[in-house]
Amino acid sequence: MNAFHGRVTAALADATLKIAIDRTTNTARAKRAAAIAAWPEFAQARVLGRDIKDHVIANMEYYLNQFETNAKKTGAKIHWARTGQEACEIVVGICKAANAKTVTRSKSMLGEEIGLPHALEAAGIERVETDLAEHIIQLAHEKPSHIIWPALHKTREQVGDLFRANHTDPGALETVEQMVNSARRNLREKFMAADVGISGANFLIADTGAICTVTNEGNAELTTTPPRVHIVTAGIEKLVPSMVEAMTMLRLLVRSATGAELTQYTTFHAGPKRTGDVDGPEEFHIVLVDAGRTTMLAEGLAEMLRCLRCGACMNHCVVYRQIGGHAYGATYPGPMGSVITPSLDGLEKSQDLPRACTLNGQCQEVCPVAIPLPKLIRGWRTKAWVQGYEPVYTAWALRIWEFLALRPALYQIASNMALRVMPVFAKGGWIAKMPLAGGWTRYRDMPRPQAATFLAQYKKRQAAK
Amino acid sequence: MNNAKKAIFAAIGKALPAPASAPAIAAELTQLRARIDATRPERVSGPPDEVFLDRVQSPGVAASAERIGSLNDLPAAVMRYAAQHDLALNIALQPHPNLEALNWSGLQTRDHVGTDETLAVGLALGGIAETGSLVFHSSPESPTLFAFLPLHHIVAVSYKNIWPWMEDYVRAFTGAPPPRNVNLVTGASGTTDIEGTLVRGAHGPGWLHVVMVGPPTD
Repeated sequence: MNAFHGRVTAALADATLKIAIDRTTNTARAKRAAAIAAWPEFAQARVLGRDIKDHVIANMEYYLNQFETNAKKTGAKIHWARTGQEACEIVVGICKAANAKTVTRSKSMLGEEIGLPHALEAAGIERVETDLAEHIIQLAHEKPSHIIWPALHKTREQVGDLFRANHTDPGALETVEQMVNSARRNLREKFMAADVGISGANFLIADTGAICTVTNEGNAELTTTPPRVHIVTAGIEKLVPSMVEAMTMLRLLVRSATGAELTQYTTFHAGPKRTGDVDGPEEFHIVLVDAGRTTMLAEGLAEMLRCLRCGACMNHCVVYRQIGGHAYGATYPGPMGSVITPSLDGLEKSQDLPRACTLNGQCQEVCPVAIPLPKLIRGWRTKAWVQGYEPVYTAWALRIWEFLALRPALYQIASNMALRVMPVFAKGGWIAKMPLAGGWTRYRDMPRPQAATFLAQYKKRQAAK
Repeated sequence: MNNAKKAIFAAIGKALPAPASAPAIAAELTQLRARIDATRPERVSGPPDEVFLDRVQSPGVAASAERIGSLNDLPAAVMRYAAQHDLALNIALQPHPNLEALNWSGLQTRDHVGTDETLAVGLALGGIAETGSLVFHSSPESPTLFAFLPLHHIVAVSYKNIWPWMEDYVRAFTGAPPPRNVNLVTGASGTTDIEGTLVRGAHGPGWLHVVMVGPPTD
C-alpha cells in the first residue's frame, strides 16, 4: 500500500471525519445551488468570466507590466519570485528589515503552497493566523483540508476542546457562537500588536495597481491596516484588466464559494498610508510569484490558470466528500488539486491524485470559470501511462480488456460467463464480497448484475417486435 | 528588469504565442466589456435607494436599516439605537466634517476608534443596490478601522449616492487615482468556519445598522 492509499484508508475509517465533511459540504452545496438559481444570467456570466481570464492569461506579459507600473505609482514596492522558496526569502527579508517579531496572516492559499508559515517559523518570527479556520488548525498543528474552509475536518466538539486548551479565559464553549467569541477576544490584541501583516490577493487590478482581498470575517483588513508593513503574496495569474472585470469575477467567485452574493468585506488595497491617513501601513510590498504557473502554461494547463480558488469543485466531488482534503497529501485537494499538484510536485510523486476521480464531470459543471477539469485530469492519466507510472495490474487489465473488446464474440462469451458467476456471490440485490473485486467491495457493495447482457436483451426485444 | 522578472517573462514568452499589440488587446477587452451588462443579476428595478434598503435587510446581508429625513436627525437615530441595544451613550465618531458638524449633545464622542470599541458611527461614500454594500474610500476623514473594530457600526449614507450595480460604482470613479483602500462592506462580519454554521461578529462588527439619509421629508 502506498502513502496515498494509506491516507485514504485511514480517512475512510474515520467516522468523525465523514460527519465533519458532510456538515460543511452539504451546506455549501445547498447554498451555492440557491444562489445560482437566483441568478438566471449565471451561465452567460460564467462564459464571460472564462473569457476574461483567458484574455488576461493570453496577454499576461502586457497585464503584468501594466499592473507593475500602476502599483508603483501608488507607492507599492514590487518583488518578483520565480519559485516558492524565492518568495519566502523575499517575505522573510522584508520582515527582518522591519525588525518584525510578530506577523499576522490573513488566509492565502498561495502562502500555504509556497510554505510561508514554515519559512516564518524557521526565521524565528511569531506567526498569528487570523482567519478563524486557520487559527483552529494553527492551534491543532495541522494543515488546511479545504481551500475555503481549512478546518472543515474539525467538528465543533473538537474545536471546543482546542480552544479550551489554548485560549485565555475561553468561558463556556458549548455553542459555535461561544467559540467564535472566544477567538475574537483572543486575537484582538494580536491584530493591533503585529509588526507586519501578510495577505494574499484574490485579484490584481492591472489598470490601477490595486490588489483585492475578500473575507467574511474582516480579518484581512485587521491584518493589513494596523501593522507598519503590509506584504501581499500573489500568483501572477491573479490579474484582471480593471475593477469592472473584477466585479464579474466576484459575482462568480463568492456565489460558487459560499453561496453569498458578495463577501461581507471586499477590499481593494492600493499602496501605503497617504498624507493625513490615521491608519494604514507605512510600507506596502507586493510579491508576484510564478512558482510553477509558467510551467503550467507551457504544459498545456493554461485553462487551470483561470481558477478562482472557490472550492466548489471539491464540495461537489464524490471522492473528496468521502476522503476529505488531507488524504490528497497536497496544498490543493479535490479536483483542482489533482490537476495542479502533479505540475507543482511532479507527476511521479502525485500520480495517484488524477486517478482518484470518477470523471463524473460535476466539478466542471459547477466551476465558475468552466475549467474542463475532467479533461485535464485525463491528460495527467495519459502522461502517467506514457511515462510508465500506471501500476502493472492496470496495464494488464486494460490489455486483457482490449484483447476482448477487439473480438466481439469472445467479449460476449466473457460477459455471459461473468453474469453467471457474479450472482453466486450476491445476497439480495448486492454483492458484498467477490474474488478479484476486493478493491471495490471493501468500501461499497456492487449491484447484482442483470440476468442477461445488454446485447442479449436487445436481440430478444428486437426479435419480439 | 530584475533577474526573476526577466526569467518569468522569458518563460511566459516561450509558452505563449507572440504577444498581441496593445491596440489589439484593448479592442478585445472592449468586446469583453460590452458583454458585462447582460450578465448582471436583473433584480435592480425601481429606485436604487429602495432596492438598496431591501438588500441591506435581506437574509443574506442581514443588517438593520432605517431612513431619516436629514443628516441632522442622525444623533437622535444613534441614541435610539443605543437605547434599543442597551449601549452606553459613548461613541467613536468618524472624523468626517459632515458628522462633526452635527449636534451630538447627550452623547460622548471621540474621533478615533479603540481596539475594543462598542459603538462607532460613520458616513459611507455611497452604497450599491445590487448587493446592499456600503462603499468607503479611506482618507483622513474616513479611517479604515472604523468599519472593522467596533462591535456595533452605525453608518449613514445619502440616498443620492446609491449606484444600481457594482459596475456603476466603478464607472463613477474610472480614471481617478485609486484611494488607498476601497472597502465594500456587505453586512456585519460573519464566519462559517466551524461546521458551516453562520455566526456574526467574527472579527469585525457583529451588528451593522444602515441609516439612509433623505430624501428630505418636508
